[in-house]
Amino acid sequence: MNSRLASSTSIRRRLLIFLLPPLTALMLVVVYVDYRAAMLFARTTFDQRLTDTALTVATRVTIESGELHAQTLAQSPPTSGIDRDNDFQYSIEAPNGNLLAGDPDLAAAPRGGSNPSYADIRLGGQILRVATYRLSTNAGVVTINVAGINDSRTGPAHFILGSTWLIGFIQLDTTLLLVWIGVHFGLKPLLVVRGQIESRSARELRPLDVSAVPTEVRPLVDALNLLFEMLEEAARAQRQFVADTAHQLRTPITGLLGHLEVMMREPDAEPLHGRLAALHDGMSRLAAAANQLLTLARADPSASLADKVEGVDLKSLVERVLERNIDRSVESGLDIGAEARRANVTGSPRLLDDLLGNLVDNALHYTPAGGHITIRCGLDDEIVYLEVEDDGPGIPESERVHVRQRFYGLPGSPGRGCGLGLAIVDEIARLHRADLTIVDGANGRGTKVSVRFPAAGGPPRPNAEALRREETETRVSSQGNSDQWMSIRSWSSDSRKLAGVPLAPLNPPPVFEGSGAKAGIQRHS
Amino acid sequence: MRILVVEDNDLVADAITRGLAMAGFAVDRASSAERAAMALESEHFDLAVLDIGLPGIDGLNLLRQLRSDGKTLPVMVLTARDTLATKVEALDMGADDFLMKPFEQAELAARCRALIRRANLSTSGQLNLGRVRIDVGGRQLQIDNELVELTGREWLVLECLALHTGRVVSKERLQQAIVSWDQALTPNAVEVYVSRLRSKLADAATIRVVRGLGYRLEEPKAQRSVAQ
Repeated sequence: MNSRLASSTSIRRRLLIFLLPPLTALMLVVVYVDYRAAMLFARTTFDQRLTDTALTVATRVTIESGELHAQTLAQSPPTSGIDRDNDFQYSIEAPNGNLLAGDPDLAAAPRGGSNPSYADIRLGGQILRVATYRLSTNAGVVTINVAGINDSRTGPAHFILGSTWLIGFIQLDTTLLLVWIGVHFGLKPLLVVRGQIESRSARELRPLDVSAVPTEVRPLVDALNLLFEMLEEAARAQRQFVADTAHQLRTPITGLLGHLEVMMREPDAEPLHGRLAALHDGMSRLAAAANQLLTLARADPSASLADKVEGVDLKSLVERVLERNIDRSVESGLDIGAEARRANVTGSPRLLDDLLGNLVDNALHYTPAGGHITIRCGLDDEIVYLEVEDDGPGIPESERVHVRQRFYGLPGSPGRGCGLGLAIVDEIARLHRADLTIVDGANGRGTKVSVRFPAAGGPPRPNAEALRREETETRVSSQGNSDQWMSIRSWSSDSRKLAGVPLAPLNPPPVFEGSGAKAGIQRHS
Repeated sequence: MRILVVEDNDLVADAITRGLAMAGFAVDRASSAERAAMALESEHFDLAVLDIGLPGIDGLNLLRQLRSDGKTLPVMVLTARDTLATKVEALDMGADDFLMKPFEQAELAARCRALIRRANLSTSGQLNLGRVRIDVGGRQLQIDNELVELTGREWLVLECLALHTGRVVSKERLQQAIVSWDQALTPNAVEVYVSRLRSKLADAATIRVVRGLGYRLEEPKAQRSVAQ
């Protein structure tokens, strides 16, 4: 039991177990010393009383005509044996050794060198304290013995012993109780640290706040922070690698895609059209994967810190995303539209753009020709929502959890994406503490993906130059006056159409002056 | 329509020049900012397609230099880095549009065409949209060089769409465009005028309705690859 307790991981229990034996020993020593001191004090006091009595007895000794006489003391008749009710017994001895008065047994008491001298004698089964006083008279030395029982059980020493024990126990208990409570309060800052760690997501690696941590625990928290830092560094390096790779892939992919598109439109390549289209399709997938990897690397919590979190006008966002997807939906034979009402959230404009872009991208990809896609945003019962609904084939209930995982493709679905789209959406939604739900579309057809934000954010705060710029763009594009048309810019996005779709029929390129007909000629290089 | 492509990567440059040439543009290529500056100094181009990541002087610095030299030709910026800072910087330096790699040839061509149209519109006051010519200054609509009669309100709607060609114009905005003309505006006035315009434009141009967003004036698809 004790070993189990001692090896227990509870600091409080260990502390109590280690403190208990020394505290108990200390208490015993204190009780013993106190007891000894009390005993010494009690004996000295008792001896003094015996001496006083012996002196009183001595006054009763008289010498009459050379004869010694001793008056007997009325209150203590000379009886054999000691009656406890009587305080003292005495004996008076003549110089010749004859008993003049008192208890003959007492005369046998040993005599010390000093005057008075004290001794303990055993008489009738009891220990008696005897004071021997030698009185010098003309007739010689008269020896007076006074004896009494010094009972420690009834004397002050007994009382002192009892109270010492009591106080000792109280001290011990109080100490242990204080330790118990003290440990609780002493460790309270650790609970703060625990709270800090518990509230984190797996990818959040900020250092812990050490200001509230007790000095003793500081090394532990410092070590933890060092570990966080190393993990963070490793994660950052990995993200950077992913981002760099994705960036570096873009330029060659652009070139390859471009060439394939040009070749597909060349009359000579007619027989190869099927193979070129397949190549183009594969290349588009590669491009989409590179873009999605980049977005995913960006959606990382620490990466997004660099991204300014601001008020985001969802209506403008919806309109922007819708506008840049019009051509693609037209070419895919889809109807796309919006039901956007004013709603603001606080978040990263970039990431929310990626989120909506990916949702629309998914809908465009999975909805067959003739389908309808609707992007919505607004305020519903204090909850800001952003959703994309389509009337495509829908996502089976059992798959709805899996589609949020990375690299998960719906079984039997035409796979252009690499299964990162909804993982990105999920990641970005979580960063914004928003809820992502996937339900059936209207009338049980298709899919409705909703992102519900916890509470309405404030209106956009145009303090960042970048943001102000973007806001101006959206305002102008939605309701600005016609003089400002030059300031309207179209932003490109990750989620542009990338699938290989039939291109517009090629008219023979008109011949222009200069090198137009011989495109690709480097006149200046 | 002459375009200068400034791109150091041969593969990309070759694809872009071929693609734009197929779309009907005359294309020249420069592989560095210095050569691009020389070309733009000595000859006329309607538009420059500019890659940011150039060796030596980068695309943004070239752009800044062009604008400080007073060159107003529309510039389409290409980049493989899609950071917000890059976008903002490019637009601050006077880029007219921004396209991220990878993109589709058709999209690049469409955007270039839109940029050139807008630039022409601002200089000549005319918008050429395939068979359709909209003379904003002269308040005239021509289809196949034939004048088409429009009412005042129809013209205001068409003008607003033409000024934003290639972009979606919200219904509210079209309403604002005609409100001074017609104080007692019915809620479906815009629909009415758009519908009348459509029948007058027939198959020469399309006014697309984007649900929940607005209207967009488009060249009919079959004519898109012709740069005019």
